[in-house]
Amino acid sequence: MTASRGPTGAAPRDWTRRRTAKRERLEAARPFVSGRVLDPGRMRDALHALLRPGDRVALEGDNQKQADFLAAALADCDPDVVHDLHLLISSISLREHLDVFERGVARRLDFAYAGPQSVRMAQLLADGTVDVGAIHTYVELYARMFVDLTPDVALLCAEQADHEGNLYTGPGTEDTPTIAEAAAFRSGVVLVQVNRLVDRVPRVDIPGDWVDLIVESPRPYLLEPLFTRDPRHIGQVDILMAMMALRGVYERHGVTTLNHGIGYDTAAIELILPTYGEQLGLRGKICRHWTLNPHPTLIPAIESGWVESVHCFGGEPGTERYVAARPDVFFTGADGSLRSNRVLCQLAGQYAVDMFIGSSLQIDADANSSTVTEGRLTGFGGAPNMGHDPHGRRHASPAWLGLLTGEAPALRGRKLVVQITQTFRSGGTPAFVESLDAVQVAEDAHMPIPPIMIYGDDVSHVVTEEGVAYLHKATSLADRREALAAVAGATPIGRHMKEQHVEALRRDGLVALPEDLGVDVRAAKRSLLAARSVEDLVAWSGGLYDPPARFRSW
Amino acid sequence: MTSRVPARNGQTDWNAMLARVSFIELDARARAVALLDDGTARELCGPFDRIESPWLEPQGVVPESDDGVVVVKGVLGGRPAVVIAVEQAFQGGGIGEVSGAKAAASLSLAVRDNREGTPTVAVLLLETGGVRLQEANLGLATVAEVCAALLELRALQPEVGVIAGTMGCFGGMSIAAGLCSTLIMTREGRLGLNGPEVIESEAGVAEFDASDDALIWAIDGGAQRTGTGLADVLVLDDVTAVRSAVIEAVGRGVPGEHRSRRIREWRARLDAVDPADPPDPADLATVWAHAVPAEGDRR
Repeated sequence: MTASRGPTGAAPRDWTRRRTAKRERLEAARPFVSGRVLDPGRMRDALHALLRPGDRVALEGDNQKQADFLAAALADCDPDVVHDLHLLISSISLREHLDVFERGVARRLDFAYAGPQSVRMAQLLADGTVDVGAIHTYVELYARMFVDLTPDVALLCAEQADHEGNLYTGPGTEDTPTIAEAAAFRSGVVLVQVNRLVDRVPRVDIPGDWVDLIVESPRPYLLEPLFTRDPRHIGQVDILMAMMALRGVYERHGVTTLNHGIGYDTAAIELILPTYGEQLGLRGKICRHWTLNPHPTLIPAIESGWVESVHCFGGEPGTERYVAARPDVFFTGADGSLRSNRVLCQLAGQYAVDMFIGSSLQIDADANSSTVTEGRLTGFGGAPNMGHDPHGRRHASPAWLGLLTGEAPALRGRKLVVQITQTFRSGGTPAFVESLDAVQVAEDAHMPIPPIMIYGDDVSHVVTEEGVAYLHKATSLADRREALAAVAGATPIGRHMKEQHVEALRRDGLVALPEDLGVDVRAAKRSLLAARSVEDLVAWSGGLYDPPARFRSW
Repeated sequence: MTSRVPARNGQTDWNAMLARVSFIELDARARAVALLDDGTARELCGPFDRIESPWLEPQGVVPESDDGVVVVKGVLGGRPAVVIAVEQAFQGGGIGEVSGAKAAASLSLAVRDNREGTPTVAVLLLETGGVRLQEANLGLATVAEVCAALLELRALQPEVGVIAGTMGCFGGMSIAAGLCSTLIMTREGRLGLNGPEVIESEAGVAEFDASDDALIWAIDGGAQRTGTGLADVLVLDDVTAVRSAVIEAVGRGVPGEHRSRRIREWRARLDAVDPADPPDPADLATVWAHAVPAEGDRR
């Protein structure tokens, strides 16, 4: 065996092709680079030099922040030079994300969520303009970047960079370190748009030797305040549901660690902790440790001493000064500002919290839920990650043990997965339906399985304005369906429910109505909200919360 | 004339802010009752009189038994008063045949009371998008009657308009607001002839972006309207503060010259603004402060 022969005697293999390709790419881009810094006026040329047809490119479109300058540059590429790219975008938020496909620059797409572009996404898929690999959940897509979807090039964004490439993300760290790691450690090129090039970054969120190129964007990257809900829009029915959730779920199960989805119903829960929750004497007994973004509606509960810790997926515009002033509660860096991280927060949400509560657009008779509706391909985001019972959990807590399941000796507890929704949405659309639109969408788009957000068998509780259904207590599928129907009101799922059946379910503890929970329906008034306007939230924060312009009605 | 956010040592007193009782949170009936002296409120043509609009049901709209306008008589700071409150939660505070007639008739009755020796003041709580579209011309006619009655009454007694929010006051009813002796607003209140959505749909998003709240409040908001003299008093969203401001305004009596009579002044202000190159909303007060009617301008 000579040195040039492998153990099998086959011709020698080059084990550094990715590394070589990376060197060649960076070499080709050299005319547009000084040090690590790219000339923003030459972005198109630089991308032509860096990219090769068929490349797998991770474009940072997070749940919140968007590498919009790089997205526009990519959409502007010449399809004769750059084509057939395979894009990895967790959240399709910008029109440029899909322009890239219409212009023939990219062909294949793996993504997690397409909220604002969901209608166009469905059209492009139907037209065959986009080849969708799969629709993922957030962490699932990032996980695949470390397995079979490693990026050749990562296009990212950050707040600031220094000349050595050290990045400062500020509160909105989100997914940047994860994508950077996947690319940097398997010879991918990491190119980052930054709002500002500085001599020294306030803190290092991503070390400079992971970063190959930096470009100073002419405009700050786009960041939407997705987690702000104006308390003015919270109605009495939301408040009633919040009261029932507090008594029937939080108090009953002693939920101390939790995640809240975003919506007016969960915002109502956050806002009645300092009032109704206080009356019930629950402070310190529930809602102590949270995994969620810095919801402005959580400020009154934090200020009233309910909240011990909050770990965040991302930041939220306007909460920067407030969060920085509460370092005992939030995870903050030496510079004082929030450090978020979506993958770690998702991990925490799966294995370390006892409860997820959120709402969906549609729920079927088996409690399967989906936000996919006809003509829209919204994808999943992170709700399925939070909204399931992770079988990898082994540590016990009273809430988890309270839902004990399995046969001895294979006993295990269970995460509380709670769906909260009014039986009808605005415009009179029923939330409880016989068949999810997702089933039809799957057929139309030839998807292998229907895009269900949260599987019914993971759902432990359903809260509506009618009451609480304790699905985890059902011993048969028929019982589960009856319990769900009992709180589904006059929807197609609930309207055939007989009163005597509901009585039996109440006796067996599968269903609780407001009176069973000691909830006085007449008390469900807006005066129960600790803050009734954005201005009140500012007051609760002692002037530290700076609401974005669109939430200032003054 | 401004009752600001409570301040202590120059710092905003956030605890006082949170301790206040929000006027905006109240519905029309509760607002009217909250303004009047304790125990004096008495509703006229209330819901149990079941005077509702005959025009809504045929158009698929569920009518309400007070038609969205609440008229309450009582005593305000010791004086006989009538409060006319528009309910923003019903059809966006739109004025129809019945609700408009209730408002106009109560003002006319106040005129009669005044002439017969009971000096009655009027307070209008204006949260309205203007004429109710479903009742088109009938609504327009009643808004004209409301304006006529306001003109008649204001010669005898002060009329106080309050625009607390969150609907604001637009359309024909903004003309009624313009006729009031004193107009009180919170900074969350809005006042404009055409609402933002109407301007956008008629003149395009380049003319007015109805989704841009910062722009809307910079132009129509209570702080801007009081700062530029189109309203008089900026008050905190607080029941006690609003009531005090209303009583104070009543105490000032009938003004020497009503705002709507100061035509030369307003014309000079209009002349000072070039619509092709409008000033920044924040600069308008300064621009107008320098817009003095020319001597001898008798137009």
